[in-house]
Amino acid sequence: MDIADMDMNEHKKLNDSVAGTSGMVEKPTPADYIFNVINYLFFGIFTISCIFPFYYIFINTISDPSYVTSGQITLLPKGLTIVNYVNMGKVGDLWTSVIVTVLRTVLGTALMVVVSSLAGYLVTKKEMWHRQLWYRMLVVTMYFNAGLIPWYLNMNMLGLTNTFAAYIIPGIVAPYNIILVKTYIESIPAEIEESAYLDGASYLKIYTSIIWPLSKPILATIAIFGAVGQWNSFQDSLILNANSPHLYTLQHRLYIYLNQSSNIGALASSGDVSTIANSLNTKIIQYTISMVTIIPILCVYPFMQRYFEKGLMLGAVKG
Amino acid sequence: MSKNFSDGMYSTNQKIADKLYWILRIGIVVNVILLFFPSFNPARVCGIMNKNLSLFSCGVSYDTIVGDFGRAFRQKWVDEADFHSLNICSLTIIISVILSCAGGCMSLGNTKMKKTGLAVSAVGGIVEIITFFWMKGIYNAVTQTAADAGKIDKVMPMFQNINFVYLALGIGMLAIACVNFILLMKVPVEEKFEMEPKYHLFLMMLPIIALALVFSYLPLYGWRYAFYDYKAGETLSPDKFVGFKYFRQIINTPQTKRDIITVMENTLGMSGLGIITSWVPMAFAIFLSEIKNGPFRRFVQTFTTIPNFISWVLVYAIALALFSTDGFINTMLTSITGEIHSTPYLMSAEHSWLKMLAWGMWKGVGWSAIIYVASISGIDQGLYEAATVDGAGRFQKMWHITVPELIPTFFVLLLMSVANILSNGMEQYLVFSNPQNKETMQVLDLYVYNRGIGSGLIPLSTVIGMIKSLVSVILLFGANAFSKAVRGESIV
Repeated sequence: MDIADMDMNEHKKLNDSVAGTSGMVEKPTPADYIFNVINYLFFGIFTISCIFPFYYIFINTISDPSYVTSGQITLLPKGLTIVNYVNMGKVGDLWTSVIVTVLRTVLGTALMVVVSSLAGYLVTKKEMWHRQLWYRMLVVTMYFNAGLIPWYLNMNMLGLTNTFAAYIIPGIVAPYNIILVKTYIESIPAEIEESAYLDGASYLKIYTSIIWPLSKPILATIAIFGAVGQWNSFQDSLILNANSPHLYTLQHRLYIYLNQSSNIGALASSGDVSTIANSLNTKIIQYTISMVTIIPILCVYPFMQRYFEKGLMLGAVKG
Repeated sequence: MSKNFSDGMYSTNQKIADKLYWILRIGIVVNVILLFFPSFNPARVCGIMNKNLSLFSCGVSYDTIVGDFGRAFRQKWVDEADFHSLNICSLTIIISVILSCAGGCMSLGNTKMKKTGLAVSAVGGIVEIITFFWMKGIYNAVTQTAADAGKIDKVMPMFQNINFVYLALGIGMLAIACVNFILLMKVPVEEKFEMEPKYHLFLMMLPIIALALVFSYLPLYGWRYAFYDYKAGETLSPDKFVGFKYFRQIINTPQTKRDIITVMENTLGMSGLGIITSWVPMAFAIFLSEIKNGPFRRFVQTFTTIPNFISWVLVYAIALALFSTDGFINTMLTSITGEIHSTPYLMSAEHSWLKMLAWGMWKGVGWSAIIYVASISGIDQGLYEAATVDGAGRFQKMWHITVPELIPTFFVLLLMSVANILSNGMEQYLVFSNPQNKETMQVLDLYVYNRGIGSGLIPLSTVIGMIKSLVSVILLFGANAFSKAVRGESIV
């Protein structure tokens, strides 16, 4: 059976059996009824609290700016329009941030996946010179680091501050993902690889023609986690590239707009009318950028959920 | 699987060559490391060049070399051509090191590969020797231009001593390559380039190891800043060594001490709240699994996990949209009661810890529950059936079967969160902090950021980071030992 199918089935099983005690039909008691009502209510409300904020921001972005600025949007959009998005498109620095973020997501994820996959394969090879040493060296970095300031000074020393490369290069070697890939490859029957070796295939050949295709499910998982991480990354932009606005990521840009707005908001409560108008304008900008930043995640997540969960489970096995 | 390449007589010559190879390889590694250290930059031919440039950055980017040269160029103290030449010269040194590296790697192969590798190393050595004289020429030219402009004292031409080390490395490499070539002269050469699998695999792994070294181990070298009076942009010099001054400052300076105490209160308080509530995801999962309606359960699971995948900046955007003075809550209250509500929920220091806990929960609980949901699905159904036969009710089964089955997972996660008690991360607290709630919000990670990056107090924040790293490791080992003692299994 294809390994991808196996994943699918496992996943289905996981969902189906969540009900757990469905083995027997029991007569519900009044206590059961009360419990069920409370339970459904709780999860219903909590789920709404997770969805509503996104919905609220969304309806604000598709409503007429005058309603938004006068605070008339609560539960339904008013005066449907896409003018906010069109206006947003005219903001130049937003586009730069979108391009930077998309680029780093694509490039950073691709490189991380390829390297993790190769490294994961290599560390399964017992004949490697001092394999254990190298492997442990990678694992230790997950539990121990020098701290923020030495990291920053190191990046500075390497000349990686205020460069786009700062987003990509440090993330290429991801020890946790290497471990996940290694664990996965170890679960592939060794005979497949051995027979190829006896046929005279080189390591690289075995890797590209056997290991890579067979480990696609785990690679998809780390790719999706990596991509979300890259998309959401904010600290490296904030710390390393603070002096290069053309390299700000989308999250960093959003952070700046949010801060502007709250600062102006604080002024507004002191009663300066022109700043109020300004602040409310910032509010629309803020909502729209938030939406631009959220949409990729909202669109991708429901379809990729099984990969996310798979990743979590694999991580849990490893501890 | 491994093939033996050294069939037949292994001569004394080959043994000597093997020893020399080790010297060669170590030399190459040293050479590569030197490339990245600003304090060992042979290309720093004059005082106006930035002190924090490594040879590597001089080689790859002309702009960084002349970054501070605006005035010097305009007033003709230095000649641009010299620095273009310097850029190319640095690049040539980098290339020579790359060549040596290639030669060093090839030395792990069979004789044919070794001999080719020697040729490559020799070329690398020769190029490195040539660049010494090239660099000397650039230095002379820079001195000449500065002298013509009468600005020797401003330009401060200098010929770095490290150039002699590079020269020595180049000569050494060339010498070893020649000697080994003579030693291996009589050894017959194979038909094909081959390498033992163990080295072949190692060489494939080498770039990955190198990246890990540079980005995860090299920062440890930055711990030395904790012992120096260092301000951002300066270079370290021995006379700035202050020993444990900044370690003592934490305890002796009242202001710093007060800060640290508040910060530790916040850190431990918020981590503590997190630990106290760490059973919530488990309860969430248990109750979720009591929902028998599949699609609804699936729906809940999907949408409660989404917040885990948005950044803290976005969470803050949501918080602003809902809780700012003109946000959803205030707007709703205004329209319901008819009175104007503009409570600044986010701008107050009240209940900061609880608010942060609530946001953390909102973001993480659905996702953290998934691991328990999976564990529940793995529980043997026979247990429940047997319990039903014995007359156990729904809650009894939850309490006496489900909970005990989940406890091992819970225990591991609890220990991990105890080990991470000092690491709250800074993003959440950074985005939510403002002048009003700063006092109650600043956790250790954020404090290090604010002091180090914000105020430029590098030694002090390095000290704090250092202590934090060490304590975290001790906690982790402690938690691990505890887990081994109690459960017989380690958690890392």
